[in-house]
Amino acid sequence: MSPAIDRTSFSLPLSRRGFLRAAGGTALAAAAGGALTACGGDDDQGSATKELSLVYMGTAEEQAAWNKLFAKFTEKHPEIKLKAEGVPGPGWGEFFNKLSTRLAGGQVPDVIQVATEGQRLFASKGLLAPLDDYIAKDQAVIDEYYADLDPNLIEWNKKYSSTDGKTYYLPGEFNTMCMWYSKDLFAKAGVPEPTARWTWDDFRTACEQIKAKTGAFGYAAGPEYFAAIMPWLLTNGTSSFSDDWSTPTLNDAKAIEAAEFNRALVADKLSPPPGGQFDAPTALAQGKLAMFGGGRWPIISIRNLKAQTRTGIVPWPTKVEQGSPVGWNGYPIMKASKKKDDAWTFVKFLISAEGSSFFAQLGGTIVPARKSIANSKSFLDNAPKGTESLYQALSYATPIPSPDKGTAVQKAIEDGWKQVLTGNASPADALGKAQTALEGLV
Amino acid sequence: MTAQRRDWLPGYLFISPALLLFLVFVAAPLVGAFGLSLFHWDLLSTPEFAGLDNFRQLVTDEATVRAVINTFVFALSSVVTHIGLGMLLALGVHRTMTRGTKYFVRTAYFFPFLVSWAAVALIWKYVLDPTFGLATHYLQELGLPVTNWLASPTWALPTLIVVDWWHTIGYTFIILLAGLQTVPAQLHEAARVDGANAWWRFWSVTLPVMSPTIFFATVITFIGAFQIFDPMLIMTNGGPDGATRSIVMYTYEKGFQSFEVGYAAALSLVLFGVIMVATGLQFRLSRRWVHQ
Repeated sequence: MSPAIDRTSFSLPLSRRGFLRAAGGTALAAAAGGALTACGGDDDQGSATKELSLVYMGTAEEQAAWNKLFAKFTEKHPEIKLKAEGVPGPGWGEFFNKLSTRLAGGQVPDVIQVATEGQRLFASKGLLAPLDDYIAKDQAVIDEYYADLDPNLIEWNKKYSSTDGKTYYLPGEFNTMCMWYSKDLFAKAGVPEPTARWTWDDFRTACEQIKAKTGAFGYAAGPEYFAAIMPWLLTNGTSSFSDDWSTPTLNDAKAIEAAEFNRALVADKLSPPPGGQFDAPTALAQGKLAMFGGGRWPIISIRNLKAQTRTGIVPWPTKVEQGSPVGWNGYPIMKASKKKDDAWTFVKFLISAEGSSFFAQLGGTIVPARKSIANSKSFLDNAPKGTESLYQALSYATPIPSPDKGTAVQKAIEDGWKQVLTGNASPADALGKAQTALEGLV
Repeated sequence: MTAQRRDWLPGYLFISPALLLFLVFVAAPLVGAFGLSLFHWDLLSTPEFAGLDNFRQLVTDEATVRAVINTFVFALSSVVTHIGLGMLLALGVHRTMTRGTKYFVRTAYFFPFLVSWAAVALIWKYVLDPTFGLATHYLQELGLPVTNWLASPTWALPTLIVVDWWHTIGYTFIILLAGLQTVPAQLHEAARVDGANAWWRFWSVTLPVMSPTIFFATVITFIGAFQIFDPMLIMTNGGPDGATRSIVMYTYEKGFQSFEVGYAAALSLVLFGVIMVATGLQFRLSRRWVHQ
């Protein structure tokens, strides 16, 4: 996809300036240079000040939770001042786009938050500092951390987030996908609550009976890549890409079958039509919807709606095998950072038992990477029955396929799937078209 | 010669603030965009010289062609409808209303234009929601067929055109109303004395006097319509199946989603060219119908 990268001489601000000069001639460089210094003048400020800077995805609301975590960190390390900035976005793709634009503009933070969807992208561009030396130095800390993780998480992190054998990320908190359901509606319709090994047929029958008895929608089908497409592909024994993310497989028979299954839910009015503003957690709490797919994140809405005890979580229904997508956080240190040691101290704090336990209580939208904390009260209390299924899903999950052009890939997949759901195109046509688009992107 | 230069100098000094702004914010980015369009650049790695690759890709890229067509459909239909409907509104308000209602109606029509596109797009997304939207509800009450407008490749673009009326027509209306108020009453009286009926008076008095105003409104609406982006991003994300992807939307996708900055720059130059040509053509044609 991208031109060859010269890793040794890579320096963002310099190459940008040099590039502008080359591209626009001297007149432009004079004008643009002036303009850029005027508005983007903190090129060097980030490293010159004493503050350690972190950029993460989050809204102003979430900043409050992060601030508490930072306060905890400052308590232990008063010598390090931390300045964090949340960049709000509807999804990881948008977040990475904004981050890339900032980096291209010469604003380089010390530490960034990167989910699976962007890990390979950032590592492959040579923007990150390898952590191997730090890990060797603090081997005991890392060993203790890794011993508390699901081995899958460590292995995937190694396999997918680096292309040159070096370590750029420590695997952090993650999300898997399960089915959230309304216990009330299942009871009202006289349908037994789902079990861990239920099938697509069981699922469809439950939707039909609940619709017939209560008038409520069974499931909110949608075109979201992680949350509403991948679980159906994986439980049907297929995926969007081959195992190494090099070849798209969106047009295979099993993917088409999964799309047809979802289209039937919409066509038979068991699911609201997609493309609108349907709010699944609220509809579920109001008894208008029986099921929606989710990772940990719906917990915030469910708690706000006071529906924790009326809601349950089970693994996704299966056709061929159990399956769930998984994506996890990493907190890499930027190569351009001048405070790498401080940054490492902060990263170590994030993965420490104390840091992650505290975070598990605050954050709420992700599953802690540490087994001991995911199984503790701080995570399981005040949450629907079956919340532990989210951690258990790690044993059968598949990392969300995220080639370099993640945002464009996601868009092509979601566009195609939406065409199927709305009935505008046959599954084979729509996914075939999306497949062609994907082939052009990898 | 020196005397002449002495005459120039104050002139240049007077325009220098505007000239500086123009150089920094218009000319330099334009030259920059042209420079960028000659490179392959993904924001993160070192740019690579590409020659005319990006422009060659433009011609063969089906999505570009589609985006250009979408943009033309949107722009032409909005110019025609904005001028037509705006004129009807302006005539209605100008002729038939009392002073008080005139103020009220004028504000009411203009008001949506003050609301930002982002808010308008979100409101209309709720109105058009296929499950609980107001539009869906009332159409069902009336027994009319209901479509999932924004998710239908056939209806998505027309829907956006209608939403654009709601948002932007007040602006065209205000311009045209102002033009209408400049038509001298004596001309109308003279025409009436000569026995011209209402239609004839409109055709041979109102329209010619208003033609510069109509011309201005046409050019402004056209340029605005060519740059349409917000409702596409918020309401349909360019979909379904590329049916509402405008040139600007596609530029954004390429530049900030696929990280093909050079290609995006080439696209923005295409937009620039299209607007230049279209506006130039309008000025050219205006000689035939605009009353000087």
